[in-house]
This record gives sequence, structure tokens and C-alpha cells, in this order.
Amino acid sequence: MRDAVKEGPPLRSDSGPRIPRAAWIVGGFLTLALIEVVGASTIRNRVPPETDWEQAARHVDGVWQDGDLAIVAPSWADPVLRQHMGARISVQDAGRADLAPYERVWEFSLGGHVADEVRGLEPTEVHRVGRITVRRYDLGPSNVLYDLTSNILEAKVSAGERECRLRRLPPEGGGLFAGPMRPEAHFFCGPEPWLWVGPTVSEDLSLRNRYCVWQHPRVGDAPTTATFEDVPLGESVVLNAGLYYAHERPLEHGPFTVQVLVGDDEVGRLVHRDGDGFERIDALTPGRTGTRGDVSIVVTAPDNNMRTVCWAASVRGAER
Amino acid sequence: MRRGRTTRIGAVDQLVGALLALSYIALLFLQSPELGMSRDESFYVIAAQDYAGWIEQFVTGEGAMAQEVIDPAWDYNHEHPGLAKALFAISWLAHQKYELFPDDSTAFRFPGMVLSGLLLWLIYLFGARIFGRTAGLFAAVAFALMPRPFYHAHLCCFDVPITFALTLATYAYWRSLTSRRWAFGFGIAFGIALAIKHNAWILPGVLLIHFLWMIVEQRRRGLPLEDPRRVSARPWWMLSMGLLGPAVFLLTWPWLWNDTLARLGWYVRFHTGHEYYNIAYLGTTWFRPPFPVHYPVLMTWFTVPMVTLALAAYGLRMRFRAALPSAFTSRYWRRGKATPDPRCTDVLLIGSLLAPIVVIALPSSPIFGGTKHWMPAYPFIAIYAGFGFWRLSEHLKELLRARLGTRRRLESWATAGAFVALMLPSAQAAAHSHPYGLSHYTFAAGGVPGAADLGLNRQFWGFTTGSLTEFFKERLPDGGTVWLCDTTDIAWRMLQRDGLIPANIRGSWSLSRADLVMVHHEDHFAEIDAQAWVAFGDASPLHVLTYDGVPIISIYANPTGRAMRDEGEQP
Repeated sequence: MRDAVKEGPPLRSDSGPRIPRAAWIVGGFLTLALIEVVGASTIRNRVPPETDWEQAARHVDGVWQDGDLAIVAPSWADPVLRQHMGARISVQDAGRADLAPYERVWEFSLGGHVADEVRGLEPTEVHRVGRITVRRYDLGPSNVLYDLTSNILEAKVSAGERECRLRRLPPEGGGLFAGPMRPEAHFFCGPEPWLWVGPTVSEDLSLRNRYCVWQHPRVGDAPTTATFEDVPLGESVVLNAGLYYAHERPLEHGPFTVQVLVGDDEVGRLVHRDGDGFERIDALTPGRTGTRGDVSIVVTAPDNNMRTVCWAASVRGAER
Repeated sequence: MRRGRTTRIGAVDQLVGALLALSYIALLFLQSPELGMSRDESFYVIAAQDYAGWIEQFVTGEGAMAQEVIDPAWDYNHEHPGLAKALFAISWLAHQKYELFPDDSTAFRFPGMVLSGLLLWLIYLFGARIFGRTAGLFAAVAFALMPRPFYHAHLCCFDVPITFALTLATYAYWRSLTSRRWAFGFGIAFGIALAIKHNAWILPGVLLIHFLWMIVEQRRRGLPLEDPRRVSARPWWMLSMGLLGPAVFLLTWPWLWNDTLARLGWYVRFHTGHEYYNIAYLGTTWFRPPFPVHYPVLMTWFTVPMVTLALAAYGLRMRFRAALPSAFTSRYWRRGKATPDPRCTDVLLIGSLLAPIVVIALPSSPIFGGTKHWMPAYPFIAIYAGFGFWRLSEHLKELLRARLGTRRRLESWATAGAFVALMLPSAQAAAHSHPYGLSHYTFAAGGVPGAADLGLNRQFWGFTTGSLTEFFKERLPDGGTVWLCDTTDIAWRMLQRDGLIPANIRGSWSLSRADLVMVHHEDHFAEIDAQAWVAFGDASPLHVLTYDGVPIISIYANPTGRAMRDEGEQP
């Protein structure tokens, strides 16, 4: 063979010190090939088969209690978990803001992963099902006294002085960059079709789905208000609020404000600017534990263009 | 070894190249029906059908040259030149007439498969001429088994065709440095590249740098160099590129035959100001620049088999000195053995390898296309991997000789054994990647689950729908509707035309009214999950298509839809 640019003379067998180097090179590449083949096979063999998922889900389902939550680590396996846990994971659970409503957490762990939500907690029970490790974490009694988000249809909703009426229509929306789906039951404030208030799920700036109440502000600082009458009060009202991500991501629109009122008293205010993502405030209500009152969530924006506000809130007692 | 002379390529080499090409085409052909049509392919199918009408008219000579006939036929998808789509059209026309293929999709895809096969042939010849037959063969097979190019090789898209055309143009240029005839061939090849995709625009820059480098090197060493009669410093290739390149480009794209300058200007502006689509990378979904500079480097590391990259790195290290200016090596690196040939071939190869990667590494370059946008670098990575393998085989022979004396047959078997052993990771990866192609990641990324942990893009183009055809048939035996997510309506209709989906299972424009809703898992598609949850009041998918345990598509069922009614009727 005559080659154009092969280097130097052929290696000779009598070149002494070169032989160990040649052996290293040949051996090194063959070892690398072996590692790659075995490694790739090992990765595939560590994938839990369908039967592991079924057995793990059956195990958890058999001992399920009210206040339980099932999660998975790593989080990208969440669709598989939801498929196998079925109705045990509701839309509210899938789009939860935090673990406050739950008393026990079942973590399905693949390959030793630990979910961020339970990192640092000690499991009370560890159960191995094939390639899935199921861990139970006992969190203690929930401190959520009243969930405003899931009770939004019990609220009174108004846009300025005008009351928004509750109506039921087939869900509407859907598609990439179409934003949150309008649910069947919602308050319609109008006249613009997006001026409604109701429970939905919104993708936030971190591309995470949030179960929340869509409450689009009206133009020019006119408030849109949802009032929950005579609800139990506690130490705080915890509120998370943000925007549909496609409207926040360009970082080019104005702020919006969410006020938390107990009766007529403002107990918390969140001023959100693009880039803040889904933000949390703890509106403290000290001294009100054991009492009842009206809680209002008021949304305003000087410029309501693309202010697709969605919030999730609950009344909470003392930290557990 | 005699420097400055290439391996004499003969009939046997052409036979080897042809066998490589035919085997690859056969493999792609057999596997194609398992691969759902991708988003971009579906647009090119529409364009090809339009072109086919015009081509028929052109052949029959019925007024095809009138602008009012040309423009409607060639207007669709005029953001890309016409040649590749015209080939898809001709193949489909042939299928219409002679029923050559099992289905329409394969007919459209066949020219891409043929060019993929020809690319292997070319890589073999190029590699063999430069580094010898062993290197050429290893290079061709290594490229064939890279999982991402393997996926793209099936498609009626431009990414493998442009890789072929750029490699061909580079080869022709390299040959033109010693043969004036090849200057003509180079002009044609460059025109073909221009007529396939705009990646061709960077080639003249690469070649010009190489040519100037070569001249400076020759002058610095003092002419005549090692074989001055054979290397020409006359820029015939430039003349050919300037004349034949644009001619081929214009001739093969009838859309430019009218309002030429205005349309050419539009075409250039479209690509120089291309909009940005998003892509997930290392846990972030990137929507706009500046994009991470390391994107093409790490994505190459995560998607090309490790052994191939390691061999390429080894080969490059062995040849690196030859790619440095002699003014540098004569002062700072005197003792190295790798010396440049008169054509400075290593400079050309390394330039061709780096240029596509560097262009995509620029923070302003769109990165939404994943690895396909720098795929023209891969033949050159493969060629250096081939050289690395040749070096390794020499070491192996040396070891055998030291222990057993000269036994040529044993050396040949040992080389063949090493070839197979080092190709195993690639073969394993390519086999496992099908039909998930774009979702595949190598061991370096931790495989598919590791890539999901790293937050790398799961897929794009919605082609994975092809893996669910049996599911749809089972769930909707009497027909129904499916919300298609990232799969285009045209791609869905191609599944129907190919007989993979019954005609009574239709794509739905309404998510909430569809019987089934698909969600192709990419981070930003989380909103479709959310919409399905709200529409159906349920967060649990009916089915999740997984690849190595990683969700690829979730399917939600409308509780009042046909899929659930059928479920209720089952025992």
C-alpha cells in the first residue's frame, strides 16, 4: 500500500521500548470498546421493566391513605408514574406548588435518584420492587386549612364592580404556545375571551406545570377579584403566582400585582416582574388562627397585555 | 512508504465502495417503513409532489417554461433550493409508474438513501487515497454506524445529501490540486452542494484558507517542493467554482429563473436572518442567542460512539504536526515524524472537520437542528478515526511480530478482529438507535436515561409517532381522532398513505374533542400535558411510549371518546 501522508517508517519489531507502548495503545482501545459495549448494555439492563412499575404501583395503591402523594425521581419519569398510579395522582397533585397539603409521600426512585422535594428527609419505609426503590416519607399532619385554588368555583369573582358569572362550556384551547386550557367550569368576566377566572394548569418559566387559578387582569389597573367567604384562617396565606411562560420569557411586558386581603386588610402583596417565574409569598395573618373570615385575591396590572396571571394559594396553620 | 503519493485506487476499491454503498442502501431501505415521517420531511414531500407535476410537464414539453407554470410548482418551500426535492420527486414519479417501492414514503426517501450509500463509497475512496485502504474502510463503516447520521440517512431531507455534496466537493477540490480535470468536477460538485442546502456557503472559505496555506507553505519551502509537477498552485478550482457552481445552482432551481436577483436576495436574507427555534441542552431550553459555544462539541461527544471519537483523536494527534505551519514546526517541533504532503492534506481535512462545528459554535448561530447542522464534519472525523485505526493495526502487527515472528495471515486476521471489536460499540449503538434516532445518546451521556438526567433534547420533528401505529389501530379499531402534537398533518397522512394508519383514524384540530391526545416529550411541550389534564380532568396518560425507560410520547384519552368507549366494551 502506498500512502500519502502516513508518518515515518514502519514500526519495527526490534524497536524495543516501543512494544509496551504499542500494547498499551491496542489494549487501551480494545478496553474502551469493551467498556462502551458493556456500559451501554448495563444502562439498558437497569431500566425498570413494566412489571416493576406495575408491582410498585400495586404496593403503594394497597396501602394508600388520604393525604398521600406519589412522586418519582428522576422527574423525567413522571409520565410513567402517572400512567401507573392512575387516579391516585390528580391534576392538583401533578401540578402541586409544594408538599404542604400532604401527610405522606411515596417516592419511586430509579437508579438511586432522590427527588428534590424530599431531599434531606429520612424515609420511614423502604421497599424494593425489582429495579425501583419505593420510599415512604411521613411528613405529619398537613397545615393546610383551606385550599383556595381547588375551591375557586366556590368564590365570588368580580371584575371591578361587575360580578363575573359562573358558566360551563366545553374546555377550550390547546396547542403549542396556546397557553393554559380554559376549563369547563369557570367565571366569565369578559368581554374579551381571556377575561375569565377558573382552575387550570399553566406552564411556568421553568417549564413546570402549575395547577393554579387563571385570573387575567383587566386593562388599566382595574382589579379582578376572587373572594372566598367565611373560610378558616390560620397563620398565613401562602400564595404562588406567575405567568404562562411564553408570555414571560421575552421579558418585555409590564409588572402585575397580586394582593391578598383578609376582610378589607391587605396582608400580602406580590409585585411580579418578567423573569421572576412562579413566585411565592407568605402573607402572615398572626392571631387569626381558629377564626374565620373572607379572603380575597386581587389581581391588577397597569398594562394587561400578555399578563396571563395564574396563582395557587392556601390558608395555612403553623409550620409542621 | 513514499510521501507525496496516494494509494493507487483501482477496480477492487471501486468494488469495495460499491458494496459498502449497496449494503447500506439495502439496510436503510428495509428499515425505512419502521420510521415515522418527520416534520421537515413532510414539507419536502409536498414540495416534491408540486415539482413532480412540473417535471412531467417539462418532459412532455407542454409550456413548462412559462413563469405562470414554474412559479406555482416551485414556490412551496422556496427557502431551500430545489435539487434534493427534485430527486425526491423523480423517485416518486418512477414509483407512480413502475411501483418500485413498498410505499410512497420510501419512494420519496430513496434518493436520500442512495446519496447516503454514495457517501460511504466516497469516504472509503477519500480515506483510502490519503491514509490507505484499511483507514478508508474503517472510516466508511464508522460513519455509517454513527447513530444520528444513520437516522438522517433514512430521510427525504437535506442533511445527508449536503454532507455527501460537501464531502464530494472537498474531495474534488483536493484532486483538482493535482489534476486539472478535477477542477471541472469540483465546480459541478460545488454547484450540487449549493443546490442542496446553504451549508455550501462556508466551503469556499475553507478551501481558500487551505489553498493560501498550501501556497505559503510551498513558497516557504522553496519551489519545487517534493513533487512539484503534480501539485498546481494555479487556482483552476476557483474559476470552476465561480462559473460552474452558480450555473448548476441556477439550472437546478427553476424558482430562480424569474425575478432572479430579487428571489436570490430573499433566499440569502432568509438564512442570514433565520428565526430561532428552541432546543433543550443541559437542563435549559434555549430560545434565543447567545447560545452555548460548547453545544456542538458536547453534543458530538454525547452522540458519536466513544471509540470512534477516541480513534479520531488518536489519528489527529498523530497527524497534528503535519497540519501546523512549517515555520512553527521548524522552530518548536523539529523532531516529529508527521510531515505535510505537498497538498497539505491534513490542513484541508482538519479545516473541513472544524468549519461546520465552529460555525454552529458561534453564539449567534441557531442550534435547533441538533447534530445535523454540523454533520458535514463527521466524514472527516471518520477519516481520522480510520487513520487512528490503521495506526492501531500497525501496533497490533508489531506486537504479533515481536512474539510470533512474521505471520501475515495471522496479522490480517488480527486486524480484522480488531476492526470488528472496535466497531462493535458503533454497531450496537446504531442498531439500538432505530427507530428512535434523535432520541439516542451514547454511553458517554449515560445512554438515553443519562441524557434525560442531563437535560438534553429528547427529540424533535414528531417522527416517533411512527412507533405508535399499532397502538392506534388497537385502541381505535372503528376509527377516531388523534391530536397530533408535533407530528404534522401531512406526516400523519403519509402514515395513512403508507398503510400504517387506517384512513378512518384522523388527525384532530381540537385537543379537547380528540379521542386521543399525543404529547411528544420535549421540555417546552409540558403545556400540552397541562392542556390534556384540564381538558380531560385527568393527569394519567393511557399509554406512555418509552425508550430505555425515558418517556418519548404520552397519550391521553378523552373520557368520552372512542378509545375509552372501546375500553369499556372490552371484557
